[in-house]
Amino acid sequence: MNKGLTRRLALGALIVSIIAIAVAYASAFRPSGPPIWAAWLLALGIPLSLGGIMVLGAARGGREAGVGPLKIPFAFVTVVLAAGFGGALLLPATESPNSELWLGLPARAAIVIYGVGLMPTILLPIAYALTFESQTLRAEDIEQVRAFARGGAGERKGLAGQACSERVDGADVSTATDTRT
Amino acid sequence: MTSIPAGFNALLQASLPSAAQPAVIAVGAAYFAIVIGISVWAARKTRTAADFFVAGKGIGLVALTIASVSVSVSGFAFIGGPGLIYAVGLGAMFIVLPASVTNVMGAWVLAKRLRLLGEARSLMTIPDAIGVRYRSPAAQGIAAVAMLFGIVGYMATNALAMGVVINSIFDVGLGWGIWIGMGITLAYSASGGILAGIYNDVFQGTLMAVASVLVFLFVLDFGGGLSAISRSILAADPSFLGPWGKLTPLAALSFFFVFSMGSLGQPQAVHKYYMLRDPLQLKWYPLLKTLGLVLVLLLYFGVGMGVKAFVAAGRMAPLATPDQATPSLLLHVTPIVLAALVFSGVAAATMSAANSFINIGAAIVMHDLPIAFGRRLRNELAWGRVVTVLIAIAAAVTAQRSGSMVAFLGIFGWGLFASTLVPALAVGLNWQGATRAGAIASIATGLVVTLALEIAAYNKAFSFPAGVTASAVALVLSFLVFFAVSWLTRSTAAGSIDPDVRLVMEL
Repeated sequence: MNKGLTRRLALGALIVSIIAIAVAYASAFRPSGPPIWAAWLLALGIPLSLGGIMVLGAARGGREAGVGPLKIPFAFVTVVLAAGFGGALLLPATESPNSELWLGLPARAAIVIYGVGLMPTILLPIAYALTFESQTLRAEDIEQVRAFARGGAGERKGLAGQACSERVDGADVSTATDTRT
Repeated sequence: MTSIPAGFNALLQASLPSAAQPAVIAVGAAYFAIVIGISVWAARKTRTAADFFVAGKGIGLVALTIASVSVSVSGFAFIGGPGLIYAVGLGAMFIVLPASVTNVMGAWVLAKRLRLLGEARSLMTIPDAIGVRYRSPAAQGIAAVAMLFGIVGYMATNALAMGVVINSIFDVGLGWGIWIGMGITLAYSASGGILAGIYNDVFQGTLMAVASVLVFLFVLDFGGGLSAISRSILAADPSFLGPWGKLTPLAALSFFFVFSMGSLGQPQAVHKYYMLRDPLQLKWYPLLKTLGLVLVLLLYFGVGMGVKAFVAAGRMAPLATPDQATPSLLLHVTPIVLAALVFSGVAAATMSAANSFINIGAAIVMHDLPIAFGRRLRNELAWGRVVTVLIAIAAAVTAQRSGSMVAFLGIFGWGLFASTLVPALAVGLNWQGATRAGAIASIATGLVVTLALEIAAYNKAFSFPAGVTASAVALVLSFLVFFAVSWLTRSTAAGSIDPDVRLVMEL
C-alpha cells in the first residue's frame, strides 16, 4: 500500500471515528437520554480512532511507505478493543453468586479486564520493539536529521527536496516558504 | 497510560486519617532524607538551561522509563482510585485500562518525531514543537497559555494532596503539610531542575511500584485469591462486577476515550521524549513503561476489589466514605510497615507530579511566552529558577483556599491538556495537511470550551447528561475544528512546514 493511501486511510478512519463519537455525545443531550446505539458508536469509534492515529503515526514516507508488517498488530488491537467493548455490551448481564469465573472474574468483566486491559499490554510494545529498526527509527534516520541540522539553509532545502519529493496529502512538500505568523 | 486525573485527587482525597505511628514516621523521614540527598547531587550537575529543563538530553532508558511511570501516576492511583472502584465497581477501571495502549501509541505517534525535532532544533518544550511544526510563534504562544491554565490546576491539587499526606504521616496540620511538601519539592526543582526531578522520580517510582505490588499480593493472600474475592462481592452486590460496574456504558467508554486519546496531550509524559540520551533506545521504552505502569496500578485494582469483598464478608467495617478504602485497609488490616511504604509512596506520587509541572510551567513562562512575544531572555537558567520559586509559592497559596475551589481547578487539568494539544500536536506532527490556522483554532477551541463548560458546571449553571464530560466534549470539538479549519485553509499547508521539520515528519 503506498504511503499516501495508508496515511489517507488512517486520517479518514480518525475523522470518521471522531464524528461517530461526537454524534454519540450529542445524542446524550436528548431529553429521553442517550439511545442504545450511542454506546455502540463509542464502542466502535474508540478502537477505530486509536487504530487510526497509531497508523498515522507509524506510517513512514519515502520508498518504505506505509506500516509494513505493523498492519497485523494494528488490526489485531483495533479488533480486540472493539470485540471487548462489543462483547460487554452484547452479552447478557448474568453476574450472580453462582456465575462461572474466568481467571477469577465473571465473563463480561474478564473480557474487559483481560481482553482490553491486558492483551494489548503485551502485544503492542513487543510489535513496536520487533519492528523498530524496519518501521520506526534507525541510525541512518538520526544521522540524516543531524546532517540536516548541521547544514546551511540552502543545503537543507536540497536535502528536503530529495527526501520529500512526492506530493503528500495534497500538499506539495517541496515548496515551503518563509511565512511566519 | 494514562495519567490520573488531578481533579479526582482533590475531590476524593480531601482528608486522610492520621497514620502518625513510629514506623510510618520513620519510613516517611527516611523517604524525605533520600529525596534531599538526590537533590543535592543533582544540583551540582545542573549548569545550563538545557540541563535544567531537559537534562541536557542525557537520561538513560531505564531511568527515563521509571521517571515517566512516576509522573504518570498521581496520588489518585493509591487513594482516590481504589475508593472510586469501591464506590462504582469495575466501571472505574476504564480510567486505567487505556494504559494497555497509550504508551505504545505515544511512542508511535509522538516519540520519534519529538525526539528527532529535539535533535534538529534543540527544542525544550511542547509548545516549542508546535511552534516549529507550524512555523508560528502565535501557535506556540497560545499552546503555552493553554498549558499554563492546566498547570495551575494540577499544581494546586497536587499541593493540597501533598499537604493531606504529609499531615497524615507527621500530624503537622494541613497548612504546614502543604508548605513542607511544596518547600521540599521546590528545593529540588529550583536547585537541580529536571535532573533532580528525574532521579527523584526514579526513586519515587520504584517506591510506588514496590508498595503497589506488596499491597496487591497481601490483598490476594488475605482474600484467598481473586476468585474468592469475586465470590464475596457477587454474593453481596453482583452489579459491582459487571463490566461497567455501576456506571452507564456511555460513561465508562467515555472514560476510556478521554484517558486514551487524551494521553497524547499530557505534557508531563510527552515532554520526556526529548530527554532520552540515545533515540534508538526508544525501542524498549513502551514495553518497559507499560510493565511499570501495570505494577504501579495493581494497588488500584487490588485494594478497590479487596476492600469491597472484605466489607461484604464482614472482615472490615463499612467505610464512612469511599476514599477511606486504602487508608482503612492499611491502618487496620495490613502490617504497619506496608502502610508506611504506601503513605510514603503517595507522598512520592504527589511530589513527583508537582515537580514535573513546576518545571514545565517555568519553561513556559521564561521560554515559550517570550518567544511568542518575539523576545528571548538572556539568562534562561537564572530566570528558570526564579519562576520555579514563584510557581511553587502560587500553588501552595492556592492550595490553602477552599477545597471546592481547588477541586474545580484540578478537574480540568487533564481535559484541558487533551483538548488543546492532541489535535495540533499528535495529529499535526503526522499529517502534513494540517495548517497553522487549524492548529490555532483547535487550541483556542479546546481552551475556551473546557473553561466555559467547567465554569458553567462549577457554578451549577449547567449540568451534563450522564456519561458526558466537559473534557470529552472539548476534545471532540477541538478535533473537529482542527480538521475543518485545516481543510478550509488547505492551500496554506505546504507553506507552514520548514524543510527539516518536513524531513522529520517523513521518516
